[in-house]
Amino acid sequence: MGNESFSKGLPSTLNAPAFVDSWRWKALIAGIVFAAIAVVLAFLGQAQDPRHLGWIHFWRGWLDGYVACFGFCFGGMALLMVQHLSGGKWGLIVRRPLEAMCATWPLIVLMFLPVAWIGATRGKLYIWAQYSNWTDALRKGLIDNDQAHAIRWKQPMLNAHNYWWVSLVCLGILSLYCVLLNKWSLQRDADPEPNVAYWRTKFENLSGFGVVLFAALLFVLAIYWVMSIDPTWYSTIYGFQYLVGEPFMVLPLAILTLIGLSKAEPIRSTFRVIEQHDLGKLCFALVMLNIYFAFGAFIIIWSGNSPEEIPWYLDRIRGGWGVIATLDVIFHWLIPFTLLLSRDLKRIKGKLSVTCCVMIFAGFWDLFWLIEPSYRDAARDLRLTWGIFEYAAVPAALFCFWLVYYLWQLKRRPLIPTNDPHLAEILEHDYVHA
Amino acid sequence: MPLPEGLYCLMAEFDRPGDLVRAAQAARKAGYRRMDCYSPYPLEEAAEAIGFHRDEVSLVTLIGGLLGLVAMFGLETWIAVWAFPVNIAGRPYFSWPAFVIPAYEWTILWAGMSACFGMIALCGLPKPYHPVFNAPNFRNGATSDKFFLCLESTDPKFDVAESRSFLEAQSPLSVVEVEY
Repeated sequence: MGNESFSKGLPSTLNAPAFVDSWRWKALIAGIVFAAIAVVLAFLGQAQDPRHLGWIHFWRGWLDGYVACFGFCFGGMALLMVQHLSGGKWGLIVRRPLEAMCATWPLIVLMFLPVAWIGATRGKLYIWAQYSNWTDALRKGLIDNDQAHAIRWKQPMLNAHNYWWVSLVCLGILSLYCVLLNKWSLQRDADPEPNVAYWRTKFENLSGFGVVLFAALLFVLAIYWVMSIDPTWYSTIYGFQYLVGEPFMVLPLAILTLIGLSKAEPIRSTFRVIEQHDLGKLCFALVMLNIYFAFGAFIIIWSGNSPEEIPWYLDRIRGGWGVIATLDVIFHWLIPFTLLLSRDLKRIKGKLSVTCCVMIFAGFWDLFWLIEPSYRDAARDLRLTWGIFEYAAVPAALFCFWLVYYLWQLKRRPLIPTNDPHLAEILEHDYVHA
Repeated sequence: MPLPEGLYCLMAEFDRPGDLVRAAQAARKAGYRRMDCYSPYPLEEAAEAIGFHRDEVSLVTLIGGLLGLVAMFGLETWIAVWAFPVNIAGRPYFSWPAFVIPAYEWTILWAGMSACFGMIALCGLPKPYHPVFNAPNFRNGATSDKFFLCLESTDPKFDVAESRSFLEAQSPLSVVEVEY
């Protein structure tokens, strides 16, 4: 087990400190407050908006928050599999937070039910579900020719029945991965022998295929849940943006968790500046990859000169949306990029925490920009009604409730996996590598 | 322009780089300014000794880069807005975010080219004729193992007899007069 003379020794307690419970209470109270605000906003919006979109906005906000929480859960799972494949000390220190994230899958499945019921079965979120009888809707002038055409030809995929079962099958497969990753990790801890090769191979075999499968299923779900809101448009890079967007929020949350936990053992002595710096660098890589995909998608579509694709961006630039889009670039790229360039910043806990908060906030902001202009009543026309603030209240509420579940999972097991050869490395003093 | 005639410089030859640097420092201290050092490999101390502190390559690079930026951004704007406006689904003609990448590429390209050619030009290259090659000992040693200090005749302080005795005091291998 490494060079003992450099080792600090394993902390006496490996369980999460007691203050995690107070975090849970705070998250629960915040969640209830946000939920109450969301309901009030829905009533206000219903009364104020001549189109009576109050409750519709509530459910759109739910979809926004749901996609974010899905990302925290299964994006955490993806990052967990990546660290099993890549190995490394950074992976060991974030492993338990990531496992706790992916253990929240029952809540994610539960949160999905209203989306599917309200959105697809009752057709409140998806135009293809609302006007599945497209001939009738076209005659009444409720949809235009393009929409009718898209609904007609995409009906084999975009119908409520397929929406339900494809989503549930995908969620089921992903949840199975979450269960296995969590179960094996505890079994590995309980193993009296190191059995390094056995466990590593076992995790690698699951994760290697798992990351590919995750990407494929994520593409399908991103298309069904978000892209299909506007069935007239499609993009092949759409799934990739979610594939990067999820770790873009997951990794900052994992870092925030560790920084929060580092006030007490066992994380205080095991979360070293070296790994913190490494995680900061990985955040920086994600910031670059994210803008690469987002800007790449824009430049390809914009320069492609196709009148079928460019309106998607025009919907999100004109009528006030340009402000949201500009701020999206600032929150998503400019601020984290310029901050994370600094070496010192990545090594100072307080400053790195602020950057992580900005990144998570940017993730929510981006989802708002992706989702709301997909609806024809909001495209090229950003109206600051009460209803639009549902995009803040409902996702905040769902995120807080999700946090409660996540922190509960975090408390259920030791924060440091003990049966792993990397353990000896993170128990070395900082200066050994500095 | 008539070709210059007469004495170009007095050239002292040294065996070791240290001797050259010391001689150059002494020459500068004595008030000589129009002089040059020649060595088989770059000798930073020698450049410093004759008062060569900074060059203008970085400024040329900056100007070149900015010119590239303006040129490509202007070209794109001109094409998209005036020369060949294409209306695609009501897309704005002047969509500057889409112009960023080519403009950026030309910034780097022009900056790099300016750095390369600016450096060559500031070095006075290409130069098919240079009088120092009239000295046979220079031809033999300048690119292998000898170090030279030239006091140029255009220096106001230059005087053939006085400068020769100054150079001989620096214990060189030889001091020769070099004609244009």
